Amino acid sequence: MDSLHIGSYTFSSRLILGTGKFSSPGVMLEAVKASGTQLVTVALRRFNREQPGDDLFTPLTSIPGITLMPNTSGASTAAEAVQAARIARELSGSPFIKVEIHPNPQHLMPDPIETYEASKILAKEGFLVMPYIPADPVLAKRLEEAGCVSVMPLGSAIGSGQGLATAEMLKIIIRESTIPVIVDAGLRSPSEAALAMEMGCDAVLVNSAVAVAGNPPVMAEAFAEAVAAGRKAFAAGIMEKSGIAVATSPLTSFLGTEA
Amino acid sequence: MNPLPEWLSAGHDETRFRAMLSPDSPYTLEQLAGESKAITLRRFGRTMSLYAPLYLSNHCSSGCAYCGFASDRKTPRRRLEQEEIRKELGAMKRLGISDVLLLTGERTKAADFDYLRTSVATAAADMQRVTVEAFPMSVSEYRDLAEAGCTGITIYQETYDPLRYAELHRWGPKKDFRERLETPSRALEGGIKTVGLGVLLGLADPQEDALMLYRHLRYLGKTYWRAGLSVSFPRIRPQTGSYEPPFPVSDHLLARMIFAFRIALPDVELVLSTRESPAFRDGMAGIGVTRMSIASRTTVGGYHDAESSDRGQFDVFDDRTAEAFCSALRKKNIEPVFKNWEHAYNGPSHPEAEK
Repeated sequence: MDSLHIGSYTFSSRLILGTGKFSSPGVMLEAVKASGTQLVTVALRRFNREQPGDDLFTPLTSIPGITLMPNTSGASTAAEAVQAARIARELSGSPFIKVEIHPNPQHLMPDPIETYEASKILAKEGFLVMPYIPADPVLAKRLEEAGCVSVMPLGSAIGSGQGLATAEMLKIIIRESTIPVIVDAGLRSPSEAALAMEMGCDAVLVNSAVAVAGNPPVMAEAFAEAVAAGRKAFAAGIMEKSGIAVATSPLTSFLGTEA
Repeated sequence: MNPLPEWLSAGHDETRFRAMLSPDSPYTLEQLAGESKAITLRRFGRTMSLYAPLYLSNHCSSGCAYCGFASDRKTPRRRLEQEEIRKELGAMKRLGISDVLLLTGERTKAADFDYLRTSVATAAADMQRVTVEAFPMSVSEYRDLAEAGCTGITIYQETYDPLRYAELHRWGPKKDFRERLETPSRALEGGIKTVGLGVLLGLADPQEDALMLYRHLRYLGKTYWRAGLSVSFPRIRPQTGSYEPPFPVSDHLLARMIFAFRIALPDVELVLSTRESPAFRDGMAGIGVTRMSIASRTTVGGYHDAESSDRGQFDVFDDRTAEAFCSALRKKNIEPVFKNWEHAYNGPSHPEAEK
């Protein structure tokens, strides 16, 4: 069985869903169910114990077979992310933490320096750390050395729907990594998710593309199918692209068999 | 001497912004609305983040011609003590609010920096997110405020026209145009994470003011790369002192401005308060505006003791309850978000600002 292994956890689905930007918690839950995802991320800032109607975390715990991964979106420094991670573990009981540090709340680009610092500390504290990072191959290796269980490079800017703008860097990260590489952010359509999987990504994380779709649950299902197809293609071995035609009758048969 | 600094006089890349706002604009309102809606949806999703204002004090040392709390108005003056603030916050929390904007007048002995800092700390203990709309401060005061738990400040230039500014701000510390203009920069240097800018619509030529505001935002974004920016669109409404706006702004022009800012600055938070009508607020939700105040009281206090008959700083037009407003948003397929922040994120924006 072709499963995704992250830390000591095993997942059969390679689609991870984000839970922000939906028109209601009800629609979000339907999308999560329809996607068949087993790993879902929720921002700590959207945990609301004081007002159940505003809370995204508790309703998700009612879906069987889901592992929840809190994220630190909103943190702008390593210190804030570390503190948020500790609170999130306390509230959720999940060992996973998606480290997300945006020093600029406008474009939401991850800060590589603060992310590295926070990830190092949290990995030492026993968290299963999944950092959201720029598509930088060296940073990815440094985070692997720091004890992260996965790296999550961006395909393009969060919420931009620009797809795999970082494809060439992602290929290097995938080639060099010994931990799962999960493309996070920027995917707009299922075909882009399939392409990421064909490139050899271990999983993809999608949020906006599902949340703002005309019909989020159906779009979630479409992404699930695309991810599965892309993975299957990758595992089957995709034929090489070539710029020149290969003759079906060999051109060098006159040379005889090589000794 | 040109009273405007270089960065406000120099043109940034603003051709399209000007064209969107120009009276003979090549863009129809409907075209702009469509583009603005698509950007809003992609970047912010189907959500609206909510906050509520809490007026801490209406003491004021300035003579702004248009303001119900100006120092020559006969309005009774008072400030909330810390115990009263806690009661107000308690009442706000019962409405579901976790994101509060604290307001005061210009700096006075009755409501000075120490009072404000203490009040921020009181609010930060109870609320997830605390922002402040008060008086201009120094870099070190902003640093102290950030450490007390303030993550954002709102400071409106009111108008970027120096001559109109001088006429309208008759006395007091707010008379100093440049001092006010440089306030957002000082806040960001001090480690405040977000600054909210705006012009008070009705005071001066709205197209000119919008362009200057746009330049100010571009300047801040480039100079302080960590800065979170937001823009509010306060429009003068009837109030204590009955000031008649010399440049009234129509619904159509206000809508056009909101769309132009959304298109030109796709990631910036756009804010609309309860000064505006229910119909206008509901209409703007999902097509440009991403943050709104709810259930607002514009008197000092007013949440705990809802019977107060004081006049506020301005009259609330959208006086729907939190519940009624949220249900209108949900009908539009938009999720009202009460908590979109975490107390853990309340430190200064950058490590150097912590010292």
